[in-house]
Amino acid sequence: MGSLLHAQDCKGFMKHARSTVFQPLRLLTLVAAMFAGNAFADEYSDVSQLVRAGKLTEALTKADQYLAAKPKDPQMRFIKGVIQRDSGKTSEAIGTFTRLTEDYPELPEPYNNLAVLYAGQSQYDKARTALEMAIRTNPSYATAHENLGDVYAKLASQAYNKALQLDNSNAAVAPKLALIRELFSASGAKGQRPAPVPAAAAPAPAPLPPVAVKPPPTLPTQAVAKAPPAPVAAPAPVVAPTVTAPAAAAPTPAPASAPVAPAAGNSTREAEAAVKAWANAWAAKDMKTYLASYGKEFDPPGSMSRSQWEAERRQRIGSKNNISIKLENVAVTVEGSKATARFRQDYKASGLAVSSRKTLDLVKTGDRWQIVKESTGN
Amino acid sequence: MLGMGLAHAATKNLPTAKASRATAPAPVAPKDADGVAEARLIEIYTLIGKAQNRQALVKATSLVQDLPHFQLAQLVYGDLLTAQTRPIRTLGDMPDDLARRAPSVLNELREESHRRIKALRERPPAGAIPSQFLALSQRSRHAIAVDASRSRLYLFENTASGLNLVSDYYISVGKAGISKVTEGDQRTPLGVYYITSNLDRKSLKDFYGSGALPINYPNILDTRRGKTGSGIWLHGTPPNQFSRPPQATDGCVVLANPDLDHIIRTVEVQTTPVVIANQLQWVAPHSARSDGKSFEDALMAWRNAKTSGNLDHILSYYTPDFTSNGKTLAQWTPTLKTELSKVQGRTIQLKDVSYLRWTDSTDTMVVTFGEVAEGFRTGWTKRQYWMRQGNQWKIFFEGTM
Repeated sequence: MGSLLHAQDCKGFMKHARSTVFQPLRLLTLVAAMFAGNAFADEYSDVSQLVRAGKLTEALTKADQYLAAKPKDPQMRFIKGVIQRDSGKTSEAIGTFTRLTEDYPELPEPYNNLAVLYAGQSQYDKARTALEMAIRTNPSYATAHENLGDVYAKLASQAYNKALQLDNSNAAVAPKLALIRELFSASGAKGQRPAPVPAAAAPAPAPLPPVAVKPPPTLPTQAVAKAPPAPVAAPAPVVAPTVTAPAAAAPTPAPASAPVAPAAGNSTREAEAAVKAWANAWAAKDMKTYLASYGKEFDPPGSMSRSQWEAERRQRIGSKNNISIKLENVAVTVEGSKATARFRQDYKASGLAVSSRKTLDLVKTGDRWQIVKESTGN
Repeated sequence: MLGMGLAHAATKNLPTAKASRATAPAPVAPKDADGVAEARLIEIYTLIGKAQNRQALVKATSLVQDLPHFQLAQLVYGDLLTAQTRPIRTLGDMPDDLARRAPSVLNELREESHRRIKALRERPPAGAIPSQFLALSQRSRHAIAVDASRSRLYLFENTASGLNLVSDYYISVGKAGISKVTEGDQRTPLGVYYITSNLDRKSLKDFYGSGALPINYPNILDTRRGKTGSGIWLHGTPPNQFSRPPQATDGCVVLANPDLDHIIRTVEVQTTPVVIANQLQWVAPHSARSDGKSFEDALMAWRNAKTSGNLDHILSYYTPDFTSNGKTLAQWTPTLKTELSKVQGRTIQLKDVSYLRWTDSTDTMVVTFGEVAEGFRTGWTKRQYWMRQGNQWKIFFEGTM
């Protein structure tokens, strides 16, 4: 699985294998090298498990042993940076991730983690720069986008405080940015935002390809722009014309307004209605309906249990002020009791606007179509 | 001789104050040069107007790095950061809890923004000059006019061909606005003034920023009207504020330090007039010249009377309540007689004549000239205040400088 939301949840997930066409050749080689031998992956997961178990000293020893033989290895260096960060050795962690950005400038994750560390030191300008580098490296990197949204909000708050000459000390709390735990994780490590990752290893989820990200919303002309002296070409505010599941949509399944393909059979219509209902429930933060959209067979990402996953979904979705989910170009194919829905999903919430291709696999159980797999990309 | 007016004043009408500085390809001005901060702010506004928020954010980031105490820049920077995550509805679109902590400051910043933009959008007509500057001799190399309604100070260069607008700056006036009457009323005086001195910044508190140029408030007209107060200066801003709200001072005219620096380096004390008006009227130089014609005739008639040496005739040009540095007309008449005895019927020449008109409930003229009798190498530099009574101009003050 790998919905947009999960993309932001599963912050360690960025799989570069699927996006190599967009990446420099160097990364291709790198990724190939990374997955060349299972032995390496075992080493990584051994260290990672030690980290998850809180055995940081042992984890660091093991990482250093590994790096003594393979000093350039980006994955282990990355893990080492995380260990240093977890151990409170912030400046060492900054050094580790900085050197990774120098040696592997095409990787967004070290930039992301640098930003997390800088933000932890209240160096938000540096955090912003690092995150912007991460996004330049990988424009569809949802974690960096979300972290950047938080950093922008913090910087804006600081700027407003300076504008009003307020005492900044008791102003907004520091944002909690999401740290990436591992590069190219074969075991599906996740970000720690906010729930800690359970220690248990889990089967690898489907690779999560990058999602396309919409340009950030623009300042409408009637705002500050009303004022400028220059002749103003009215820029259109960012409002997508196609709205199938506005935030205010009723959380009832199968909204009556759902457009129906003329030639679609009943099953297709039902499956499509189920998809729309899922999106409506998500946007309306109707967690009961949203979670009920997922069948028993649905496999939560990473090592999470169903109940952990549900708890995380509740926290994630519940914490957003306004969620808008718009589905475009919904195409549903049905084979017996199985259906596949492909569409473009425009997600907007609390500072994050992401447009991505999404595929939902659905299975009909009784008279209900339920999601059994959620993946991003085509 | 009297005709030395404001012919061919060629002011330019360009979109920003800074842009009007040079016609040749402008060299990149140093970041701390006058007007640059505002030009950078306006560039950001312009980018926002073109929906180029990304580029605007880059520029705003750089601006607040250079000038972290430029509150309006911080406000716009905050908006541009916010715009990365949601649309902005108004200038200073901050969370309510923040806005509630300083609502008046937010409103002042919005007003500052509004006034800066308005002054840059609504430029003085090309070649026009403030209506007060009827004649300005070459003794005044520069002139200053303040439009309080626009929170704007205009700096002119007085060239042989007339007054040229060289730059203009955002300014702050008194907390209680304009029309100063009494000491402590926190108002900025309106009238025709001159810069009297240049105070060394080292002798000033940080509060006054890069320096101070006192003006001669209360002037003769103000004193005649019983106005009180003192210490009206053009001065800079404190270290923690790049600029101050439109109405913020105790009556002084306050500029950003780089702007004041430029003025201090440019203008001369004693000879630089400072006209402070609620709203400047901009007129064509030839129109100012013809406006001044009836006064010029009166001044010439006074000169002729003085040349003729007829005391009664001369005294008819003075108001009954005339004063000269505390003397009444009767007390001052011996001074006039002494002057006449020195001149002994020689033709009086008036050199470097300036006259600035101030019209409110009364129509007045602040006149400065050199008075030299034919055959003499030196004379007096005089200042007179005239007022119009019906269609007759009369002198109510005369003094040597």
